[in-house]
This record gives sequence, C-alpha cells and structure tokens, in this order.
Amino acid sequence: MAEFSVAAPSVGAASGKSVTATGKALSVVALRKTYGDVVAVDEASMEIAAGEFVTFLGASGSGKTTTLMMIAGFCEPDSGTITVGGRDVTRLAPQKRNLGFVFQQYLLFPHMTVHENVAFPLTLRGVPKDEIRRRVGETLEIAGLSGFGGRKPRELSGGQQQRVALCRALVYRPPVILMDEPLGALDKKLRDQLQVEIKTIQQELGLTVIYVTHDQEEALVMSDRIAVMRNGLIEQFDTPRELFERPRTPFVADFLGAANFLPGRIEQHTDAHTVVRLDQSGGLLKARRHQLAPGTEVKVAVQPGRLRACATDDGFCTGTVETATYVGTLVRAGVRIDGGDAPLLRLEVPAGRGPVTGERIGISADPDDVNLFPTEQGG
Amino acid sequence: MAALTATAPAGPRKLLASRKTRIGILYALPVVVYLLVLFVYPILSTLLLSLKDADGSFTLHWYADALTGVNLSVLITTLRISAETALFSLVFGFVLANAISRLKPLWAGVAMLIVVVPHFISALVRTYGWIIMLGDKGLVNESLSGLWIPGAPFQLLYNELGVVIGTTSMMLPYTVLLLYGVMRGVDRRLLAAASSMGAGRVTIFRRIYLPLVAPGLASAGLLSFILSLGYYITPALMGGPNQTMIATLINQQVTKENQWNGAASQGVILLVLTLAGLLLVKAVSSLGASRKKRNAS
Repeated sequence: MAEFSVAAPSVGAASGKSVTATGKALSVVALRKTYGDVVAVDEASMEIAAGEFVTFLGASGSGKTTTLMMIAGFCEPDSGTITVGGRDVTRLAPQKRNLGFVFQQYLLFPHMTVHENVAFPLTLRGVPKDEIRRRVGETLEIAGLSGFGGRKPRELSGGQQQRVALCRALVYRPPVILMDEPLGALDKKLRDQLQVEIKTIQQELGLTVIYVTHDQEEALVMSDRIAVMRNGLIEQFDTPRELFERPRTPFVADFLGAANFLPGRIEQHTDAHTVVRLDQSGGLLKARRHQLAPGTEVKVAVQPGRLRACATDDGFCTGTVETATYVGTLVRAGVRIDGGDAPLLRLEVPAGRGPVTGERIGISADPDDVNLFPTEQGG
Repeated sequence: MAALTATAPAGPRKLLASRKTRIGILYALPVVVYLLVLFVYPILSTLLLSLKDADGSFTLHWYADALTGVNLSVLITTLRISAETALFSLVFGFVLANAISRLKPLWAGVAMLIVVVPHFISALVRTYGWIIMLGDKGLVNESLSGLWIPGAPFQLLYNELGVVIGTTSMMLPYTVLLLYGVMRGVDRRLLAAASSMGAGRVTIFRRIYLPLVAPGLASAGLLSFILSLGYYITPALMGGPNQTMIATLINQQVTKENQWNGAASQGVILLVLTLAGLLLVKAVSSLGASRKKRNAS
C-alpha cells in the first residue's frame, strides 16, 4: 500500500488541471436515445461529483451501456445535454471529450508494447519524452505492472491486460473515467481481486469513475452511488445503503435485496409506524411510517435476511418450514405461510439456531426493515 | 516400485514416437516425390544448363551476357516496371480493400466478386480489352478529347504507362484479396479505443490502422512485384520496344534463337531476384520489430 501514497501526489501534480474534489465532474440532463420505436434511454438526468465512483447497474437492455456510450461520444443522443467539468460536450467527437474509457475486451493495441500502449495518450498530448517515461513508469507501478513495460499485450494474462487498459485510461488524468463491464471477461476470483484494486486506485488518486455492470455485488462493493436502470429509466440513484435499505420502487427492492413481497392493506398509522394487514394470514405488520392513506392496497417488501423466525404467537404470521438449506454461516429456509397459496417466503437466518424442515414457526421483522409500495406502482 | 513406474512408460513412448515419425514420413512421401520431380529437378537442370558451354564445359559467360549491354537494360526495365506495378497495385488495392472492408458482409461479398471475376477471363482477352480502351480512338482518349482536355489524345499504349496500367490491373485482385483479409482481421473497436484517448482520424490511421495492416501491405506488395517480374503477355502487347521485359527476352531466345543456355541463365537471375526480394522484406520487418523492442526497453 505504501507505493500508493508515494505515487499519488506526483501523478496528481503531473496532470496539473484536474477538477477540484468538490467540483461537479459530470452532469447529464434529460438524455434520451431511441432506436426506432424502442426507447433505449429515457430522459436520464444525473450529477456526478469529482472523486465519486458511480455505477450504472441494470440487466442487459436496461440502457446502462447506451448511456455510457453517449457520455463517451460513441453514440449520439436524440436530445439532452452532457457536461464535463462545465463544458458542454454533447455534440463533440469522442477524441475531443478528454475522457478515459476502459473496455470489457481490454482493446490494447496489439502492435505496441505495454509501455507504448500506456504512453499512447500522452504522446497525443505532446508530453515531453522524459515526462512520458516517468508518468508511464509511475502508473504501471501503481497497477503492480513494473517490469512488464517491454511485453506485448498477448504475452499477458487477462487480468494483467485489463490493468494495462486501466493504466492507459488514467495516465493522462482525464476528469472522468468510463468503464464498461471491465471485469466481465475475468473469472470470479480475479474479479474480486481487481474490484478491490480498482477501488483502491480510484480512492488514492481521487478519480471520478462511471462504471457499468450487471453484477449487484460488484456495484455494492465498489460504488459511492449506484444508478439502478431498467427499460431506459433510472429507477433510483442513491448510495448502496439507501438502495438496499430504502428502495424507492419494488424493482429496486427485488433487484438489489431479492425482497419477499406480500400483498396487504394499510390499516392505520401510529406515531412511529404504519400498520399493515396482510391479505393471506390476516396478521398485522408494523412498517416504517409511510404517507399512504388507510385502506390503500400495498406490497410489503422485506429482504430474506431481515426476517426472523420466532415463536408461533409472536410473529405477524405463521407457517411451516418446507425447505431448509445449510449454506455455511446461514440457513436459507422456504416457509409456507398459513392461509393462502402465496410463493414460499424466503428466510435467511444464522446457522445453528436455524429452523428445521417441517417445523412450525412464527415470522417477525423489525419495522425499520419493512418497505411498503402502493400496488398500482407495478413491479 | 518407484523405479519401475519411472522407467516403464519411457519404452512404449519412445516406440510410439518413432512409429509416429515413420508414419509421418509415409504421409509426406507423395509431397516429397512431387516436389523432387516437378520443382527441384527442373530448377537444378535449369541451373546446370545456365552453367554449361556449347561444348559441355563449365562457364559463366551466359551470366556475363545476361548482365551486360541490352540484356542488362532489359533487366533494369523489368525491375523498374515491376516496382511501379507493385506500388500502384498496392495504392489502388489499399483504397479498394479499405472501402470494401467497411461494407456490410453481403455487399462486401458482392464487391469482392466484382473485383475477382474479371480474373477468370483470359489475361490475353483482358489485355486486348485494355488496348481497345486506351488506343488513340479508344474510349479513354475519345472521352478526354470530348471534354476538351488539353493535349488529348494522350499516348497511353506502347510505352511504360501502357504496360504499368495493364500489369497493375492484372495484379489488383491479388492485392485486394490479400489486403481485404488483413483489414477484416483488424478489430475496429481498437480504433474507437484510440479515439476515446483523444486520437484524431489521421493519428488513428497512421499509428493504429496502418501498423496493423502493414504485414498485409508487405506481402501484397511483394507478391505483385514478384508476379510482375515474370509477367509476359501484357508487357509484350501493351509495351513498346523500350519496355521489353525479361520474360519476353527469354521467350525470344528459346523460340527464335534456340538459345537455351542464355534463357536458363536469365531464368536463374529472375529466381535469385525473387528470393532476394523475399529476404529483403523479411529483413526489413524483423529490423522494424527489433528497433521497436529497443525503444520500449
């Protein structure tokens, strides 16, 4: 770790004109892109601060990559504006935007050595030879690639190639670095390792990164904020904790938290809580206070890990354990709730005190972990 | 026990290897015989012929003849015309292949067909086609005169220009095919990657695209140069007396003067030139590679 703190200031100083840590690095206003009748991105707007690590998270076809490509300039938006460091770049060619881009397929220049690859963007900027050598050396050292400068890309492993691609994108200190599923082609173990490396480098150098992935875990591990995208819309743009604990739509609750959904109706409001009567069991369940009129049909969303098994007369409902799978530290249980043929309720409880198949249990939850969505909101 | 397991597999493996080798030789035999009879023997006998005097003794004077006077100037003309042909077919081939490689696969296929199909027609027919087109009253000169271009009609036949036009058109399919294959293999996303770092079109072309297709350029240029060296029909029909190429000279010696030894020596010279060209390209490319390595370290 020591080399980071040594290298970071000098690389930072070399760039000369990086955006200050409090400034707005990038803003996107009402960005829209259609392909024929299909709306790929629908009025996407967001502001990203300098030094922030932002992830676009979504399934394929959610518009996350299209948004990234529009920011990079590889794809022209139908309408909307993109501003980088206060400069409108919406209609500029990619090479005039001064952004960094890391591709899933690395795309290192095969006829150049590692050193030449990383030096390439600097030579375009007319940096003197000695300084190029110094900065390339420093950047390769940060990525743990010292001594690989003379090699050709094909002589490196996938993980090393992607590290070189990362160096090539950050060596000229662009105000924003875009990454399109950079770890998608790597195996799980290497991916976990590089997630930490990229995050560390990003924090040490204060880089502003926009990262695209479909992997929730990756997004949670790396991001300061995540934009959850679906059908061209940004469902929610928030910190990982907010997304996880306070999902704003049933989709986000399901996508990130894999929540259980139970139909119910608002019964009443108390000072601190909203009380819901569940359709199936008729049980009463306390949730965080919501601004919904009594009688409103709602969906109750609770993540499997936030449900607790308890005595049969303590919970908001009772049921029979149908499946119980031991997965190391946890037991994953499927519970058939009494009074209805809803899908099995999924529970994750610490192993050891875990329920057994066939056992009758009650189920309870902390009101703070219960989210409510009006039914007409869809899901 | 350990010794047993260590030594036991060695025996059969050795046997297998030698049997594999023997079978390999058996498979290679037809090719070896083919090459010996149709390739090595003719070259050796040509070489012998070029070194034999009228009375059967050893001599070098056929080579001395071939490299002096008119014969030398024919040799130089051959090299010059071949170089010009290689250059032009490379330039036109590059432009054409580059355009085709950007088309959608279906249209690229059609375009390649259009480039290659004329090659199915006899070179003689195509050469006469050019002669009709390029004559004083041909399509090209008539059009130029019609447009009041000063100096028209131009002399487009029976000079070096005529020969180079003819041979270039004959070589074009080879260069286009070779370059197209290489260009198709270039990952276009590399060019996008370069532009994301701030490279403009000219820089991308010069520093990314050109180096990536350079091997294709070298082999296409060399191929058209070598093919032109021994080209016969087109230079003979479209050139004047000053454009006599070495193949024409060899033909004259064999058919008109019954001078096989002289023809053989010129054939050997042609062969040596071709090999020299191959070695040159190899040397240049490896030199470039080693210089790059030195720069990087």
